[in-house]
Amino acid sequence: MIRFENVTKVYDPNARPALDAVNLEIDRGEFTFLVGASGSGKSTFLRLILKEDRATSGSVYVAGQNVANISSWRVPKLRRGIGVVFQDFRLLPQKNVFANVAFAMQVIGKSRSIIRETVPEVLKTVGLEGKERRMPHELSGGEQQRVAIARAVVNRPGILLADEPTGNLDPITSMGIMGVLDKINQNGTTVVMATHDDDIVNEMRKRVVELRNGVVVRDEARALYTSMIPVVGESRRMKDASDAEIDRAQGVQQ
Amino acid sequence: MRLAFILGEIGSGLRRNLSMVISVVLVTFVSLTFVGAAGMLQMQINQMKGYWYDKVQVAIFLCNDSSTATGCASGAVTKEQQDNLAKMLDSPAVKQYISDYQFESQAEAFKHFKEQFSNSPIVDSVTQDQLPASFRINMKNPEKYQIISETFSSQAGVETVSDQRQVLERIFEWMNGASVAAMVVAGIMIFCAVLLITTTIRLSAFSRRRETGIMRLVGASKTVIQLPFILEGVIAAVVGAVLASGTLWLVAQFWLNGDLSKQFLNTPFISSAQVLVIAPVLIALGGGLAGISSLLTLRRYLKV
Repeated sequence: MIRFENVTKVYDPNARPALDAVNLEIDRGEFTFLVGASGSGKSTFLRLILKEDRATSGSVYVAGQNVANISSWRVPKLRRGIGVVFQDFRLLPQKNVFANVAFAMQVIGKSRSIIRETVPEVLKTVGLEGKERRMPHELSGGEQQRVAIARAVVNRPGILLADEPTGNLDPITSMGIMGVLDKINQNGTTVVMATHDDDIVNEMRKRVVELRNGVVVRDEARALYTSMIPVVGESRRMKDASDAEIDRAQGVQQ
Repeated sequence: MRLAFILGEIGSGLRRNLSMVISVVLVTFVSLTFVGAAGMLQMQINQMKGYWYDKVQVAIFLCNDSSTATGCASGAVTKEQQDNLAKMLDSPAVKQYISDYQFESQAEAFKHFKEQFSNSPIVDSVTQDQLPASFRINMKNPEKYQIISETFSSQAGVETVSDQRQVLERIFEWMNGASVAAMVVAGIMIFCAVLLITTTIRLSAFSRRRETGIMRLVGASKTVIQLPFILEGVIAAVVGAVLASGTLWLVAQFWLNGDLSKQFLNTPFISSAQVLVIAPVLIALGGGLAGISSLLTLRRYLKV
């Protein structure tokens, strides 16, 4: 469903690349955690899938299509096949729950009758039935994130990208959100979730891809947040280098 | 559905940016009024040209006793000189350029003069022999004045050859100058309008960046995202253009064809119906400028 072939992304030619020769394949229907420290390249990874950025070298394939070959006027079509959820929810504050979810269907020209039929269904999937008329500020953080998830999946995308969706939520609420994402994954949607949340990763036991300084240092099925495999060889050298860098950064902060 | 959605977006955009939208309306209104006024002046010039050029004549003034021109060294025009001039006017070389001519004697000239200045005390101080006799020529093509002037001004007994057109031309030049000035003001105002539209669209795009960000993510097409902003600018500018057209129509209807036409009875003024020809031009100009400047602004400030 998503394939990275030797993908490198350089923002600033004088700094190290944000992604460095990444090779990765995520299959249809898979649930993948993307873990790593801030600046390890998780967000860049997601941006490249959405064609928000262009890879400096290498190819990104989404649903069998090289995104570099998608012309700018067909990018909207690519994005209709991908739902996105963020840490900060990004709801429209002056629209109620129903209107927020319906917005995603209106702007791609779905008919009113289909919207009226689909939105309650999706709200039920994320566990928000009966709250259609609430405004975002009347909802808890967890409920707001459920609205955002409903909006991301209402057009039935094949892929759902979640960029730290539980970053602003407490552990119990976070588990609720994970339940929703798991349910969406069970319905056949490929889910890629970037996260810092070790409890969640350890609880879910899904595939874990760990990025460090733009390099994939671990790719394990049914894994934990921290590696159970000892780090050796080239990866070991890079881990040490990055640990040293982290220590330096913390030293500067103190 | 999509149309209803775009209309709703336009409505909310116009409401949120009301003060900016009003300023866009006013600036386009003023600038297009100037453009229209320049257009009306040009129409007025053409109208007057058509009306007067049929009536203007070339006059060959003949020497009288008090003439001082070099051709009049031998005193007042003689009968032979006058017949000679009439013969020349009838000769095929000259006749091809003129449609007809009349001779105006000193007595007739004096009579016309008295009619023309009946209210003025100057009539009492002018005598018949101070006025020149003349040949009044109607040209087939008024542009060919130069030929008549060259042929006759050096003839004996001719004081001067004058073209009434030249007097009118000076008025038209003045009106042309006024219309050019109106165009310059209009140009500056249009520049202001374009800058203001650009700023307004930028503000509008900024205040709705949340919506457009989400639209982008869920795969809304470029048209759906950008059209509401472009139409916002276009609608404001078109409203300004309609106001400008209305103002010009009122000017034509109540000033030109009301007050002014009573004061200048024999001047043909353009009708208010003719002004309506300018209206579509103004609307197209306002809408077009707003559309293009919005589009260019969005290309820079609204990533899709």
